Amino acid sequence: MPDESILSDDLLRQLISVGEVDILVGLHTHNHAATVGQVIQVVREGLLKYFPRERVAILNADGGSHDGSRDIVCAASIDDVRHSADIRALRTLHTITTQYADTVSPGTAMHILVEAADLLRAKACVVVAPESSEIVPEWIDRLLRPIYRDQMDFVAPIYRRHRFEGILVTNLMYPMLRALYGKPVREPHPGEFAFSDRLGGRLVDHPMWTNDAGRMGPEVCFTVEALSDGFRLAQTYLGPKGHIEQQPTDLVTAMRQSVGPLFGSMEDWNGTWASIHGTQPVDTIGPAFDVTAAEADVDPERLRQMFSSGVADLAPVLKSILSPNILEQLQRAATIDEKQFSFPDELWVKTVYEFAAAYHKSVISRDHIIQALAPLYRGRAYQFLTENSQASSAVFEEHIEALCGTFERCKPYLIELWTAQERGL
Amino acid sequence: MRLKEEVLASLAASFWYKDAVIYQVHVRAMYDSNGDGVGDFRGLAQRLDYLKDLGITAIWLMPFFPSPLRDDGYDISDYTSVHASYGTLDDFKHFLDAARERGIRVIIELVLNHTSDQHPWFQESRKSLNNSRRDWYVWSDTYTRYRGTRIIFLDTEMSNWAWDPVSKQYYWHRFFSHQPDLNYDNPAVRAEMWSVMKFWLDLGVDGFRLDAVPYLVEREGTSCENLPETHQVIKELRKKLDENFPGRMLLAEANQWPADLRAYFADGDEFHMAFHFPLMPRMFMGLKLEDRKPITEILQQTPQIPESCQWCLFLRNHDELTLEMVTDMERDYMYDEYASDKGMRLNLGIRRRLAPLLDNDRRRIELMNGLLMSLPGTPVIYYGDEIGMGDNIYLGDRNGVRTPMQWDGGWNAGFSSADPESLYAALILNPVYGYQAVNVERQKRSQHSLLSWTRRLLQVRRSSPIFGRGSIEFLYPANHRVLAYVRQLGGDTVLAVNNLSASAQAVELDLSRFKGNILVEMFGRNIFPRIGELPYLLTLGPYQFFWFRLRRI
Repeated sequence: MPDESILSDDLLRQLISVGEVDILVGLHTHNHAATVGQVIQVVREGLLKYFPRERVAILNADGGSHDGSRDIVCAASIDDVRHSADIRALRTLHTITTQYADTVSPGTAMHILVEAADLLRAKACVVVAPESSEIVPEWIDRLLRPIYRDQMDFVAPIYRRHRFEGILVTNLMYPMLRALYGKPVREPHPGEFAFSDRLGGRLVDHPMWTNDAGRMGPEVCFTVEALSDGFRLAQTYLGPKGHIEQQPTDLVTAMRQSVGPLFGSMEDWNGTWASIHGTQPVDTIGPAFDVTAAEADVDPERLRQMFSSGVADLAPVLKSILSPNILEQLQRAATIDEKQFSFPDELWVKTVYEFAAAYHKSVISRDHIIQALAPLYRGRAYQFLTENSQASSAVFEEHIEALCGTFERCKPYLIELWTAQERGL
Repeated sequence: MRLKEEVLASLAASFWYKDAVIYQVHVRAMYDSNGDGVGDFRGLAQRLDYLKDLGITAIWLMPFFPSPLRDDGYDISDYTSVHASYGTLDDFKHFLDAARERGIRVIIELVLNHTSDQHPWFQESRKSLNNSRRDWYVWSDTYTRYRGTRIIFLDTEMSNWAWDPVSKQYYWHRFFSHQPDLNYDNPAVRAEMWSVMKFWLDLGVDGFRLDAVPYLVEREGTSCENLPETHQVIKELRKKLDENFPGRMLLAEANQWPADLRAYFADGDEFHMAFHFPLMPRMFMGLKLEDRKPITEILQQTPQIPESCQWCLFLRNHDELTLEMVTDMERDYMYDEYASDKGMRLNLGIRRRLAPLLDNDRRRIELMNGLLMSLPGTPVIYYGDEIGMGDNIYLGDRNGVRTPMQWDGGWNAGFSSADPESLYAALILNPVYGYQAVNVERQKRSQHSLLSWTRRLLQVRRSSPIFGRGSIEFLYPANHRVLAYVRQLGGDTVLAVNNLSASAQAVELDLSRFKGNILVEMFGRNIFPRIGELPYLLTLGPYQFFWFRLRRI
């Protein structure tokens, strides 16, 4: 039903009561009762500490929780009915919640937030992950201040991660987005980020909400939109971020929510990214720290095994996606023993670019394309883990930087693949 | 039946202060009848018809006693006379009679805590350590006693002790050093102050506003505020008042938290009324924040008081808008929002009048007055605020809010025939608030002026005792910009709904327990839809407020 409002009558009623705000905080919950209480307490503390005079509301879009997540969020309100003697707040702080569906849809949740922010005329909006166990009040300040005080439009986080967590980000999302749009955004698929009313207003009626990219990975779409259309962008150092790397069984889901939207967004902005060369720095705010931290406990060998079996099992599918040369190199890598294994940067970059082009051409179902990339990513992850197992933080960063350089250097290859269809090739 | 009516009437008369609307004025500021540049009692008497027409029922006179006037008359040098600038005692009696003829009660100020250092009592006391009045004041060889006591006038005083070079001891003063505190441990002082009160009561005044009551008694190791011994002094005075002058009233000036203020009502045997100081800044805060929370929270913290007692509410008065009873965060907010110019700040407060505080925004002025008149308590209107008079922050101390009343656009604003240079204070002259733009005469001619509107407001308030005597229950609609409450007295119910924001608001009120009633808007007497099962939806314009009488028809 295209005419159906994304905002339910009940939510609209709540928004009327909230009225105009300066800051809107958004959460998307789905059975996060174990963590969301702590997160929202910290958010509230940050708001009271850093934005005590601003009109603020917290909006939770819930995807059908059965564990009481919504009640926990609502209990964080500060008003004249539920006031607490130990909370010094100038203003009422509304915490409202809405259940948008019985199934999880990040895009729907984000769409609700964007619409609500526009209705409430929020000058700044911050999105917080409900499972952020390391969140501290300062995150709220670091994310919002550039928007609220310095007229930025989009603030992405920089987390201090365990070295081998977020390999999908360091080996694909970050370098590819950087190559495409010329801006080094370390977290293109952030759990926490903030945006201005200008950027939010642009997204209110955006077509992203009706396509797979927006539905699955709205955070990536936000980042791309901010990068592509002249919005003022900043990054802010937040601090340690907990375990976000998906389990192998969740990898495809993670890729659907990140790589899929990245590939999908290329459709909308090919006129922009194709003409961008090199990298321009992004304003970075807050006390800097080494992006990588101590190592995490991972099992590389299992990744290699899954790569090998995946390449073999998916050979017919990969044949429809990849060029013979790339496929042959991958098959060779999948069959050689552990000690001789090699999945170099350029092979990985061209593999990704060929997947992106295949996604563009829809040579097969786009979801199947994303699924087929998963085992290849595991092979690349194995290479990255073994290559950096003893590397210092500086060397680790150098390797990532080198990979970024390869993504940039190979960009003409992507453009050639991308435009081959238009050229009748 | 007639006996019952008489009893009820008598009861109503004895609780007159609950139904009152008080007008606070300094005799000096109202009208100068003899052309010497200073207002006087003859002049004030001439303006009683204006006050009667405005709809006030009581006048609170600020100190008019002989005084060196180093603290605007709060430094009294003779308690039983009238300052020569304001007339004679006979002039006062004439004014009192004229007020009584018009049904206007008169409340006068009494400064119990201290005298002027020019008062004969202090002059005697300081003569020698053996003087019979030596222990009428609090003397000490050192300045280290009562160290736990805060200094009130932080901007001017370094200590609560001052050295007396005559008798070579320190004397205690909670306010200015030229205002030595009386020693209420001395029975002779207490007896003398009752004599003073009796003097004025015999003349016919209806009550006293007792200044600075928390500070009457000092004890080592305490804050020297709100001490049990201070309450005992008040109880003694109240007992004598009730025994000798039933129906007269005591009003406390005690800038304290509600819980501390509660003690001044005791069991109905201390003060009849007390100013609710913490509410006032929170009304301004709620308005600026567009959020009812500061107002409802302080009223939630306000304890119940005995049936015979009453809170006294005000928006502005002769002092600074005091910010003592707010948190540091709230004070910073208030300063930034209401006193961005440092010259507007004094002590822990803001020395501005109502209209300038509210940017001369008629809608906000009306809303604040609507709140003042509908929240539980007896309202006080500060002279000139009914026409939106401005202030002059370039006059020292709090004199900027004590300028002459602006009667018309003519010579000296119609206040005095004296040379302008000889007026006790310069008139407000600026284009926005100057007397040619803001004056009584001009506003009397317009049905839509602030003066005419205020008159109508008081008329509506007087139409029901519910505002002075009724209970209050807050409704807490989800829209925090709307402050809604139900006032009830007997079978009567009034619903007040106030939009604290600068934009139009929709609000849903849970009025289900009043199902079947219709709402009658009290100003226009228009009928609003009947209350049903569903939440009652109202829309309000910016800063709009409604008073509805609920009627079951």
